[in-house]
Amino acid sequence: MRIQKLDPTLINQIAAGEVVERPASVVKELVENAFDADATRIEVELQGGGRDLIRVSDDGGGIDPEDLPLAVTSHATSKVLRLEDLQAIGTMGFRGEALASIASVGSFRLESRTADHEEAWSIEVAGGIAAEPTPCAGPIGTRVDVGHLFRDVPARRRFLKSEGAEASRVAEVVRNLALTRPQVAMKLVSNGRTLLEFAASDDPRQRVVDVIGREFEDHLVEITGQIGDPADGTLASVWGMVGTPEIARPTTKKQRFVLNGRVIVDRSLAHALKEGFRGLLEPSRHPVAVIHVDLDPGRVDVNVHPAKTEVRFREPRPLHGLVRRAVREALESTDLVRDIALKPPEPSDETSTLPGDSVSHRAGSSSRGPGPSTVVPTTSRGGRPDPAAWRDAMRDAPWPEDHADSEAASPLPTVVGRDAVLQIHESFLVTQDSEGLVIIDQHALHERVMFETLQQRIATGPLESQRQLVPVVFDAEPESVSGLETLAPLLERIGIEATASGPRGIAIHAFPSLLLDRKVDPGPFLSELLERHAAGEIDAPDTEAALSDVLDLMSCKAAVKAGDRLRPQEIAALLDMRSRIDRGASCPHGRPTHLRIPIPELERRFGRSSG
Amino acid sequence: MKLVCSRDALAEALSVAGSVVVNRTPAPVLLCLKLEAKDGFLTVSATDTEIGLILGVAEVDIREEGEALIPADKLNQIVRATNDEAITIEVDKNVANIRGKDAKFKVFGFDPGEFPGTPAFEEGPVEFQTNAGTFRRVIGRTVFATAVENSRYAINGVLLERTDRHLRLVATDGRRLAVARGECGSFEGEDTSSIVPTKALNVLSRLMSDPDEPVSVRRDRNQILFKVGEGPGAPVLSSNLVEGSFPPFEDVIPKDQDKRVEFDAGDLSSAVRRAALLTNEESKGVRLAFADGTLTLSSRAPEMGEAEIKVDVDYAGEPIEIGFNPTYLTEALKHADAQTVLIELKAPNKPGVIKVESDFTYVVMPVNLA
Repeated sequence: MRIQKLDPTLINQIAAGEVVERPASVVKELVENAFDADATRIEVELQGGGRDLIRVSDDGGGIDPEDLPLAVTSHATSKVLRLEDLQAIGTMGFRGEALASIASVGSFRLESRTADHEEAWSIEVAGGIAAEPTPCAGPIGTRVDVGHLFRDVPARRRFLKSEGAEASRVAEVVRNLALTRPQVAMKLVSNGRTLLEFAASDDPRQRVVDVIGREFEDHLVEITGQIGDPADGTLASVWGMVGTPEIARPTTKKQRFVLNGRVIVDRSLAHALKEGFRGLLEPSRHPVAVIHVDLDPGRVDVNVHPAKTEVRFREPRPLHGLVRRAVREALESTDLVRDIALKPPEPSDETSTLPGDSVSHRAGSSSRGPGPSTVVPTTSRGGRPDPAAWRDAMRDAPWPEDHADSEAASPLPTVVGRDAVLQIHESFLVTQDSEGLVIIDQHALHERVMFETLQQRIATGPLESQRQLVPVVFDAEPESVSGLETLAPLLERIGIEATASGPRGIAIHAFPSLLLDRKVDPGPFLSELLERHAAGEIDAPDTEAALSDVLDLMSCKAAVKAGDRLRPQEIAALLDMRSRIDRGASCPHGRPTHLRIPIPELERRFGRSSG
Repeated sequence: MKLVCSRDALAEALSVAGSVVVNRTPAPVLLCLKLEAKDGFLTVSATDTEIGLILGVAEVDIREEGEALIPADKLNQIVRATNDEAITIEVDKNVANIRGKDAKFKVFGFDPGEFPGTPAFEEGPVEFQTNAGTFRRVIGRTVFATAVENSRYAINGVLLERTDRHLRLVATDGRRLAVARGECGSFEGEDTSSIVPTKALNVLSRLMSDPDEPVSVRRDRNQILFKVGEGPGAPVLSSNLVEGSFPPFEDVIPKDQDKRVEFDAGDLSSAVRRAALLTNEESKGVRLAFADGTLTLSSRAPEMGEAEIKVDVDYAGEPIEIGFNPTYLTEALKHADAQTVLIELKAPNKPGVIKVESDFTYVVMPVNLA
């Protein structure tokens, strides 16, 4: 398709906004253009962190010499011609403003050659005025040089960070872009030093590992899933790799979401990921993850923000469920018992490989909120970027109806010899499995068992509830009393019937039999639940998340405690119940239930092997 | 101190006294029983500081008077494990030497002076007297329904009321209420009402093996004392009373139940027990469905199975389905003493009532079955 001027009404349909704010955004726009030109190799070179020079070279289709003057004009694009096309954007760049914007803030030179031409042509733009294209020598493809960024816009230039920090941001953008195109070889060079180099690969897993870091390779779990029907365009599929809980990070920096080949920032997907890890992570830890989501472009609005990092899903709920289940299912079929002494790899901070001060980079990015522009390209509708391999694999994978499908084999290793279980300090159970010595936290395990049992049970209807002869009345803060109404549907499901008794009192009329059996006092229990709700810890009452929070609390209160002496039958029953649960490796709060000291580690400690 | 004692009599006394002693306490003397040989009797005393018990053993030959403080569990184990007819106990400098035909044990004890002591049943007028059979029955019908470690301390005990010659014991755990009535043989003074700890009544029940023996009761400030039988060596149990007020319970006993059906207590209990076989921790309720001439009891535990029991009943009222915790039913039925019980119901979310004549009324709240 040749380059044409956009229709003026369409120009107005496109949200206005500045795209170029720092070297990273320039790199993003230029690499996206390279993707759209079907490049197989892209190289990014920086001088002075991109202030002095940004050069992006590709081996793509190139631009016709006649089109060169138009290419550097505002709202010129080869990608969107009519409003209808906007509804179904399959390419990366579409706003038709990138090159013009970039050309307006620095010295600009574009050199390109198509396969039809014997020679390359270059065009230079200075002070917003494009010179005539001139022929020159060059390979097929396009090379854009942007020099002296913001030389004439001092206000912008002042906002640039140190050389190292800007280079870090470029690296981050390149990583994001690389994730979306495993089949494109990419390289980032800064001041002559290679910072990143990703070989082209048909296996998207390889690219994920390259981007996340090879040291994590053994701790990544592949996830897949899909819902809907390709016939009516409701098909949505997810593929990705998530890190096991032990390599979880204190921030969400190692999480990347790719929607239709475009890296996005989306709270609902991030939440779905976290939900998938529910119970496996402490609240302050965040999973490492790369998650690709594909769905019909008509079902998502990417034209929300000029940098295209934010999107709006037409129906976010099914997608949330899809991601959550895919993550959960993958984790359920993985042995998550943490080995002691096998030290989880401390990932080298990405920025530390860069010259310059990574400290100021980090400070900079955290103060800026949700990261720099991290959008990425896809080829047009015909050529989805992702290798066919994982899509096919995904289609073959049966998709479970619902999450009540926990038929999956228990990932927990079999405990050997139930007689040989030792309770120590009335808190821990010590036994063995096929791989070594296993230590179980009795409270954490029982809590996890109860949590799973309750979850399965509650899927079939409200919990059994014992009515009170005389209501249990307790004093409560007014916000707790008002929370009673909000939480009513949730309370009903777990078998609590309670009403306000005056402005500062609550009366419990019915309470779950299970909790009464486990000697949980109704008043303090409901009081704590309502206080947590008032403090915002237990959210909207109709969501599964809130239900999980409440079941967490119930399991915690009902489970045996550290310090409870267990009879042999109780220990046996507890170990038996492990088979009823699908992720016994962590309690609902994400603390581990099991630890294992592998035999090789014991041998090493006792000096029997050098391992 | 030196004595020779019948093994059986001693074992029985130590077993009851041992049930007063607490298992865990930082004070070692509280883990002990005090033995006192005096005036031809051996007295055994135990206390957990709330409850005190003194009981005499008559089948004893005192060779040398004296006292000793010996760890209860060791003494109990030694005596119980012995087959000899007689046991010799000799205590010197807080060390007990226990001898049988072929055995010799040395048990280190404590200074008897450190024992906190237990109140005696003073001579003089008693508040009331009843026979052990009656007292044991009313205790049995209530004590199971008390709360365990509830934050409302008052319901951790049994309310013991006397109005003239009428005794009424009441217990509740907030989900059910048991009211048992009985008569006193004699009484003196104003009507009384106090709350007695569950443990004290459990120990007292063990002391009342002969139904015809008189039980005397008196109160002394915040203590209640029970004497079972007469004469020297008759066991005396003392207990602190539970402070606080018992919740108003009269209003809880429903007066407008409109569905009634009679059962043989044993038959109903058996049906409930069988239906309860297919319940589990999360689904423990048993469903009772009354319809023309039949009671159908059913239960269902997800992933385990289901049960259904049919019982012929003389019921022609409106059909009703109601769920109960089976334990709450069987515990009450057990104390109906194999008599005919009357079940009264109104609605699935309203209490059920079990009655044995006018002697025993039991109110139980239903469960909302899933």
